[in-house]
Amino acid sequence: MSLEERRIETVFQPPLAADRSSAARKRRALTAGATAIVIAAAATVPLFSSAYLLQLATDIVASIALAYSWNLISGFTGYLSFGQVAFFGIGAYATAALVLRTPIPWYFAVIAAAVLSGAIALALGTVMLRLRGIMFALGMLGLARILGVVAQNLTFLGGAVGLTLPAELTPVPVYLAMIGAALFAFALNAFFAHSRWGLAAMGVRDDEGAAVALGVPTVRVKVASFALSALAPAVVGGLVAWNRSFLDPPSAFDPTLDLQVVVFTLFGGIGTLWGPGLGALVLMLVGEQLWAFLPELQLALYGILVIAVVLAFPGGCVGVLNRFGWLRRRPILAPAVLPRIDRPPSEAREGGAVLEVRDLTVRFGGVVALDRVSLKVERGETVSIIGANGAGKTTLFNAITGFVAPSEGSVLFEGMAVAPIPAFERARRGIGRTFQIPRLMESMTVWENVLLAASNGRRADRAVEQAAWALEMAGLAALWLETAEKLTPGRQRRLELARVLALDPKLVLLDEVMAGMTREEQDEIRAVLRRLKHFGVAAVAGVEHVISAIADLSDRMIVLDQGRKIAEGTPETVLRDPQVIQSYLGELQ
Amino acid sequence: MLLLQLLVNGILLGGMYLLLAQGLNLVFGVMGVVNLAHGAIVTLAGLFTFWFATTLHENPLIVLPVVLVLVLIVGAFVQRLLLEPLAGAGRKAELLSLMVTFGLSYVLVEGALNLFGSQYVSLPDLQTTWRIGGLAVNEALVASGLLGAALSGALQLWLNRTASGKALLATSQNQIGALSCGIDVRRMRAVAFAIGAALAAAAGVLLILVIPLAAPTADTLTILAFVIVALGGLGDYQGAALAALLLGVVQSFVGYYLGGDAEYVVPYLLLIVFMILRPQGLGKSGRPVWSERR
Repeated sequence: MSLEERRIETVFQPPLAADRSSAARKRRALTAGATAIVIAAAATVPLFSSAYLLQLATDIVASIALAYSWNLISGFTGYLSFGQVAFFGIGAYATAALVLRTPIPWYFAVIAAAVLSGAIALALGTVMLRLRGIMFALGMLGLARILGVVAQNLTFLGGAVGLTLPAELTPVPVYLAMIGAALFAFALNAFFAHSRWGLAAMGVRDDEGAAVALGVPTVRVKVASFALSALAPAVVGGLVAWNRSFLDPPSAFDPTLDLQVVVFTLFGGIGTLWGPGLGALVLMLVGEQLWAFLPELQLALYGILVIAVVLAFPGGCVGVLNRFGWLRRRPILAPAVLPRIDRPPSEAREGGAVLEVRDLTVRFGGVVALDRVSLKVERGETVSIIGANGAGKTTLFNAITGFVAPSEGSVLFEGMAVAPIPAFERARRGIGRTFQIPRLMESMTVWENVLLAASNGRRADRAVEQAAWALEMAGLAALWLETAEKLTPGRQRRLELARVLALDPKLVLLDEVMAGMTREEQDEIRAVLRRLKHFGVAAVAGVEHVISAIADLSDRMIVLDQGRKIAEGTPETVLRDPQVIQSYLGELQ
Repeated sequence: MLLLQLLVNGILLGGMYLLLAQGLNLVFGVMGVVNLAHGAIVTLAGLFTFWFATTLHENPLIVLPVVLVLVLIVGAFVQRLLLEPLAGAGRKAELLSLMVTFGLSYVLVEGALNLFGSQYVSLPDLQTTWRIGGLAVNEALVASGLLGAALSGALQLWLNRTASGKALLATSQNQIGALSCGIDVRRMRAVAFAIGAALAAAAGVLLILVIPLAAPTADTLTILAFVIVALGGLGDYQGAALAALLLGVVQSFVGYYLGGDAEYVVPYLLLIVFMILRPQGLGKSGRPVWSERR
C-alpha cells in the first residue's frame, strides 16, 4: 500500500484553455438559448397547467433557488453548511409576522424578510465563519436547531402550535415570485462564476491562507458570500409559508430541506454555475415519479445518491458534461490574447529601509521560535537568510506578513509599524511572500492565480495588464491558460513568484524558493529574481540548503540559528565566519 | 440536597455521554473524518434493543455483545467500501468523507424509521429507584453510566497498554510514522471505524434505558458526541472525559431549572461558544479543531 496523496477526482474543476474554440462558442450559445427557453417555458406554466402541475413547478423552482443559494457559500466559497434552512425559517417567520401584524403588502413583507435574513447572516457570519471545515458545517446545523427551539418558545410567533396565514394569495403570484427568487439566486451564481469577486471566493475555498497572502480580504469575502446566500432562502421561506397558509417550527426548520439542497447541488455539480439548477430540476422530476411508489424511502434514496455521486463522480453532472466540453467555466477576465506589457525598469527608487525588524520575539507556548531578531532591508536589496530547519526563517516571514502575532518587538514597513495592519492589507501595501511548499489555487488556471493577486483595488483593465506583466516577468506567458496544479514543480514556484509580482510588491519574502529544484529550474528562478531587482523590489530569501544558488544574487546574508541571529554581512564574510561554519555549515563538511 | 442530586444525575449522564463520544473521537483521530452517521448508529442500536427487549421479554443488556460484534463487522465493511476510496487526499478528502457520512446518516435514519417507526420509545426495564441517604438514584442511570464509563475505560486500556491498541494510537498521531514502523495503516483505518461504530452502537443500547429515542434523534446525538469531542479537544481522550462530565452536569442543571427546551439547546450553544473562545478544547493535548491548513 502507499500513503502518497492519491488523486481523487477534483470536485472543483478549473476552467480549460480548449474553451476558446469556435465549437465552444457554439456550445455556449446553445446553452444560453436553452436556458432562455427553459425560463420562458417556466414562466408560462400557470397559463395552461393544472393546480397539481403548478404546485410541482413551484416546488421545483423553490428547490432551484435554495440550491443556488447554498452553492454560493458551500460551492464557490467552500464553507460547507448543513444549516442553511435557518434562513428559510427566518424568512418564513419574518414574512408571516409582517403580514399578520402590519398592513404592508405581501411582496414588501417578503423583501423585508430577505433583507432581515441577510442582516442576520452578516452578524452570524462574522462569528460562525471563524469556524472552519467540519466546525462550521456542524455549527450551522446546531444553529438551525437552536432557532427551531427559539421559535417554539416565542408565543407571538405561534409557539409550538404554529401560525395560520390568511389564504389571500393565489398560487400564480407565489409561483412567479418564486421564479424571481430563483433567477436572482442564479444571477448571483453567474456573478460569482464570472467576476473577480467570485475569484476571491474561490481563493478562500482553495486555500484561505494563501488567499490572504495575495491580498484577499478573506473575512469580508466569506461573510458577504454568506449573507448573499441567505437572501433567496428567506424569500422562498416566506413564499412557501404563504403558499401553505400555515407555519410551525418543524416545517420552518426542516432538516430534510438541508439534505435536499445538498443532494441537488452535489448531483448537479457543486461550485459550478449550472450544477444546482440542473440537479434540482432533474432530481425533483425523477423524485416526483419515484416517491409515488416509494414514499418511505425518499430520504434513504437521497442518502444513497449522495454517497454514489461522491464516490463515482464528485464533479456531479456538470463534471461529466465538462469532459465533453459542455458547461465549462471560462477563465475569469481572460483576454483573447495575452497582452505584452513592457515596463521600463525602475531601479531608481529613493533610498531608505523598506523593512526594519526590531527585537522580534515569537514564542509558541514554551518554545522560543524567534529570539530578539533585528534586521534591516534597503530598497531593491537582496538579502538571504540562511539557517537550518527550525532556525526560525518561516516564523520570521509569518511575523512580517501577519500570519503569526509577535510576542515582542516590532516590524516596520517603509518606516511604519505593521502591527495594527491585517495580513491581507500588508500584502496589498507591498509585502509579498511565497510559501515553503507552493500553495496554488488548484481549481484555477495559471491566469486566474495571478489575476487574483493583481486584482486588489485595481480596475479590471489595470488588473489584466498587471497580471499579464507578472506572467511575462516570471516567464509563464506561454502557459497562462494551463491548470495551476498540473505545472511542474519548478513552474509552480515561478507561478508563486508571478502571483507575488502581481501584487506590485516593494518587498518579497521567498521561503525556500530553491528547495527541491533541478539545476535548470534553479536557473529559471534565478532569472526571475534578477528581473525583480531591476524593478527595485527588495527580496528576502530564506534558504536552508542550496546556498550556492542564491549566494551570488545576495547583497547581504543573515544567519539564523535556533531563533537567534548569529551573523550578518556580505556572503563572503558570512560564509567564512567561524561561528557560522561551526553551527551551520560545519555539518555539511 | 437537590444540588447534590442534580450533580449525581449529571455525572452518571456524563459517563454515558463519554461512551457516546469515544467512538467519534477514535474515528476522527485515525481517519480524520467526522462520522456524521454516528448518531444514526446510536439510534438504530437503541431502537433495535427496544424491539428486542419488548418482543422477546429479555434483559436488554443481553443485546449488548451481539450488537457490538454485528456492528463491528458491518462497520469494517462500510469503511472499506465507502470511506477507504477517499482516504488520504487532504482537504478534499475531508469534504468528500463528510458528504458520504452525511448521506449514510440519512440511509440509516430512514431505515430506522421504516423498521421501528417514528415514536419516541424508552425501555421500562431497570426502573427501580435506589435511595441512598436523601439521594434518589435510578437503577438504569447507574447501570448505563457505569457500563459506559467501563467500556470507555476498556478502550483506554486497549489503546495504551496493548500492541494493537498502540498501533492504532500511533496511526492517529502520525500516519507516515506509523507506516514506516510497519503498521498497516489501511487496516488501522478499518479497525478504527469498526470500533468507533461498535462503540456508538453500545452507547445506543445503554441510552435507550435512560433517554427516550426515536429515529429523528440521530442528528442530536451526532451533535452531542461531536460537542464532547470538540470541547475535549480532538484526539484528547482525557479532555473528552472532562467534557462529557461537564456536559452531563450542565444539562442536568439546565434541564431542572430552565426546562427541556433549554436542556436540548445546551450542547449547540456550548459548541458554538467554545469553538469561538477556546478552539483547542478543555484538555492539554488536543489539537485545535481548526487550524491554518488542514
